[in-house]
Amino acid sequence: MKKTLVLLPFVLLLAAVAPAQNDAINRFFNQYMEDERFTVVFVSPKMFSLVSKISTDDEDWEKYREAIGGLTGLRVLTSDSISNGIAMYKEALNKVPAGEYSELLTVRDGQENVRIWIKDSGNIINELLLLVGSPDEFVLLSLTGRIDLDKISEISKGLNIDGVKQLEKIKQEDKVKKD
Amino acid sequence: MKQLLVCLIFILIGLSLHAQDHGLYWKYKDYDGAISFTVPRWAIHAGSWFLEEKQDRKLARKVRKVRVLVFEDQDAPVTKRDLQRFSQKAGRRHLEPLLTVREGQTRVEIWAKERRNALRKIVVLVREPETFALVSLRGKLKMDDIGQLIKELPKEFKGEGDKPLLPQNVRNVIRI
Repeated sequence: MKKTLVLLPFVLLLAAVAPAQNDAINRFFNQYMEDERFTVVFVSPKMFSLVSKISTDDEDWEKYREAIGGLTGLRVLTSDSISNGIAMYKEALNKVPAGEYSELLTVRDGQENVRIWIKDSGNIINELLLLVGSPDEFVLLSLTGRIDLDKISEISKGLNIDGVKQLEKIKQEDKVKKD
Repeated sequence: MKQLLVCLIFILIGLSLHAQDHGLYWKYKDYDGAISFTVPRWAIHAGSWFLEEKQDRKLARKVRKVRVLVFEDQDAPVTKRDLQRFSQKAGRRHLEPLLTVREGQTRVEIWAKERRNALRKIVVLVREPETFALVSLRGKLKMDDIGQLIKELPKEFKGEGDKPLLPQNVRNVIRI
C-alpha cells in the first residue's frame, strides 16, 4: 500500500509530462493553422482507418492499404513563399523535444536545412517528424501511428512522393547502424 | 390544465425549431443568393439509367439523397458560430472529420459517418471569402463498392499521374 502511494505521484507526473512534450509540436501547428501564408493538411485517423478497409484486386492498392493500416494521422504545415523560413525552422527546431525523438537524418544543402526525427521501438516507427527550412520555404510534417520501415516506401508511393529509393537507403543505413 | 398543455406544445415547437437551426442546410437554404436543392432517391435512381456501366448504375443507386447549398460571388452569410455548432452536432451524430485542407483563404473539409462497414453519410464543406459550398450525400456505400470505384479510377486520380498530391517542397524534401 505504501509502495503504491509512493509510486502514484511519479506515475501521475509521467502522465502529465508525456503529452506535454508532444504539445510543443501541437502548439506550433495550432499557432500557424490559420496563417494564410501556410498550407495546412490534416488527415484524421478515421480517414486512414477507412482507407485500410477498402480492398480491391489492385496489387499496388493492396500494398498501400497494408502500409497505411497502422497510421493514425498526418499533419503538414508548409509554405514556399515566406521570407523568414530559416527563422521559422529554428523556432520549430527549438520546440522538438530532443529526448523524445531520435534523429534519423540531417542535411544542410546551401541554405536549405532538412531534419527527420523518429520515435521508434525496434523496426516500428511510432512517429516521423520532418522539418525543412530555407530562406523562402518551410515544411513541418508529422506522421503518426505504426510506421513500418519496410513499408515506408509504399506510403511514399501512395502519397505520390518522389525519392522512394532514398528512403530505402535510410532504411538500409539504419539497419547497418543496428548491426 | 388546458393552458398548461398548450404552453407545453409551444415550448416543444420552439425547441424543435431551434434544433433545426443547427442544420446549416435548413437554416441557410432560403437566404438571398443561396443555391440549394435536394436530389431525392427516385431522381438519383432515374438518373442512374443514363450511366453506361452497370457497376456505376449500381453504385449510384446506393445513394439515397444529395443535398447541395452554395453561396457564390458574395459574402456567405454562414457564421462561424453556426460552423462550430455544425462541428459539435456532427460529433454527437458520429459524423467524423476525414480530411482538412487549407490553402490561402480556401478551406476544404470532408466529414463522414461510417456504420457496419459502410459509409452512411459524406459531407463536403468548401469555404472561401466569396464562396461557400456544402454537399451532403446520404446512402449506404459499402467499402467493397468504394474499392470497385478506386479500381476503375484513371491513374491520375490514384496519385500515379503527373500532378503530385503533395506540394513540390514536400516532395523535394523526401527526394533528399
